Amino acid sequence: MQDLLRGTTLSTEVIPDKINPRLPGGFNLPPFGVHQFLALIIVCISLWAVGVLWLAMQGASQWVGSWQDDIHIHVYLDAEKKDSAKKLEQELSSISQVSSVRRISQEEAARWMQEWLTGGGLQQQDLAKRLPITFELSLTDERSEFLFSDIRDAAGRFSGKVNEDEMNLAQVHDLLSQAGLLAWFASLVLAIAMSLIISNTLRMTLLARADEIHLMRLLGAKEWFVRTPFILEGMVIGAGAGVAAWLLLWPVVLGVSDGLETMQVDLNAWVLLLPLFFGGGIVGALGALIATARVVSSEASA
Amino acid sequence: MQRLMLRYPSGKTALSGLTLDIQQGQFVYLVGESGAGKSSLLKMLYGGVRPSSGLLMAQQIDMREASENRIRDIRRRTGIIFQDHKLLFSRTVFENVALPLRVQGWKTERLIPRVRKVLQYVGLEDRLWSYPEALSGGEQQRVAIARAMTANPAVILADEPTGNLDVDTARRVLDYLMDLNKQGTTVIMATHDLHLLKSHPGRVVQLHAGSLAGDYIEY
Repeated sequence: MQDLLRGTTLSTEVIPDKINPRLPGGFNLPPFGVHQFLALIIVCISLWAVGVLWLAMQGASQWVGSWQDDIHIHVYLDAEKKDSAKKLEQELSSISQVSSVRRISQEEAARWMQEWLTGGGLQQQDLAKRLPITFELSLTDERSEFLFSDIRDAAGRFSGKVNEDEMNLAQVHDLLSQAGLLAWFASLVLAIAMSLIISNTLRMTLLARADEIHLMRLLGAKEWFVRTPFILEGMVIGAGAGVAAWLLLWPVVLGVSDGLETMQVDLNAWVLLLPLFFGGGIVGALGALIATARVVSSEASA
Repeated sequence: MQRLMLRYPSGKTALSGLTLDIQQGQFVYLVGESGAGKSSLLKMLYGGVRPSSGLLMAQQIDMREASENRIRDIRRRTGIIFQDHKLLFSRTVFENVALPLRVQGWKTERLIPRVRKVLQYVGLEDRLWSYPEALSGGEQQRVAIARAMTANPAVILADEPTGNLDVDTARRVLDYLMDLNKQGTTVIMATHDLHLLKSHPGRVVQLHAGSLAGDYIEY
C-alpha cells in the first residue's frame, strides 16, 4: 500500500471557492442550527434574569449603604427611673461596638417632637415632662453578631426599651445578606435549568450525529476527540447567551437610572460582563458534559 | 485464534470453538450462511465485541484482555469496509475519506493531497467535493474502500462489500481489494458472492452455525 500513496507530499493545495471542509471531532465546532439558536435565546433570557437579580442586589446594597451610616439606636428609660439613667448609660457605653452614647435632654426631645408634630397643639413644657429619658447610641459595627442583643439586655436590666424599628433598619444588612443567599440560590437553580436546556439541545445534536460518532469510534478516535466539539458547542451557546444577556441589561440600567439617582444608586452593568460570559460558558460546558456523559455506541448486541 | 467463542448478552452464540490462523498478507474470504458468524468474527477483529472465551490475537494484541487504548490502536491500523458503506451523507467525499486520518490528528492542509491520491486510486478524484448521495452505489462503495485504505492500514476488514452491487461493479471493487492485498495488506472479507471466488481466488474460510466448516484455497 505504500506504493499507492508514494508521492503524497505536504502541499498547499488550494481548496476551491465555496468549499469549506468541516471535519468532525477535535476542536472543530459543529455547525449551528435552529435548535442551537433557540437554546441560546432561552439561556440568554435566563442569564438576563440572573443579571437583573444581581443588578437589583447591587442597587439595594448601594441604597442601604447610603443611609446606614446615619442610623442611631435610641434607648428609652422611664422618666421616673432617672436614678438608673447613669448606670444604664455606663452599661451601654461598655458595649464595644457602641462608639458613643449621648443622653438627649428632655427639652431637645420635646423640641424635636414638637417639630415633628407640627400644629399638634402640644406645650413643649408639658411634653418634656411626659417624655422618657432618651439615649442615642452611635454604632461602630452593625454587623457584629451580639451587638443588638447586648443593647436589649442592657436596656432590659433597667426596664428600658429599645426602638425596635431602628434596630431593624440597622440590621438591614442581614436582610441583604439573606437576599444575597437567595440570589445565589436562584442563580444556581437557573444555572442547573440552563445546563439542562443546553444538555437537551446537544442531546438532539448527538442523536442526529450518532452515526458520525459511532464511525469515529470505529476508526479509533479517542473519547475527548469525539466529545470536544459538543463541549465547545455548549460553551459557545452559554458564553454567547451570556454576552447577549449582558447587552440586554443596558436598556434596564438606562431605563431606571434617573429614578435611582435620587436614591444615590448608580448601577454598574460592566461588572456583570465577565461573570455572565464565563458563567454562561461554564453552564454550557456543564450541559455538554451531561449530554455527552452517556453517549454509547454499543455493538455488543445481536 | 483458538477455541474462540462469542456469546452475545441476548444469549445467542455467534461463534463456538473457532480455531483459525490468518497470516499477514493473506486474502481471506469468510463465507457461510446468514448468521454463520462472519460479521461477528470481523467485529471481534476490530474490537467491536470481545470474545466470551478462547484466544484471539489480532496484530499481536490479545483482544480479550486489550485495554480501550489498545483497541483504539488496532482500529487505527485497520481499515473497515461495511456492507452499508457507513458513509456520512451530510459530509463530502473528502470529509468521509479524510476521517481516519483526521481521527489520527492530521491537519486539513495535509489531508487534501493524501485524500486526492487515494481517490485517484479508486477513480474518483473528480468527486472530491461531491456528497455521497450524488454517487452511484458502486461509487459509494469505492469511497468506502478509499476511506478504509487512506490511513495505510495493515489489515482491511470488509463485511460483504459487494452485497448490493451488480456483478461488474462487484468485480471492480474486488480488483481494488486484491490490488491492496498485493501491496501487502491483509484482507479479510465476508461475502455471499461465491461466484467472485472464481475470478478472484484466495483462501476461503467457511463458517457454519458459528463453527469452522471448511478452510481451503480457491484457485
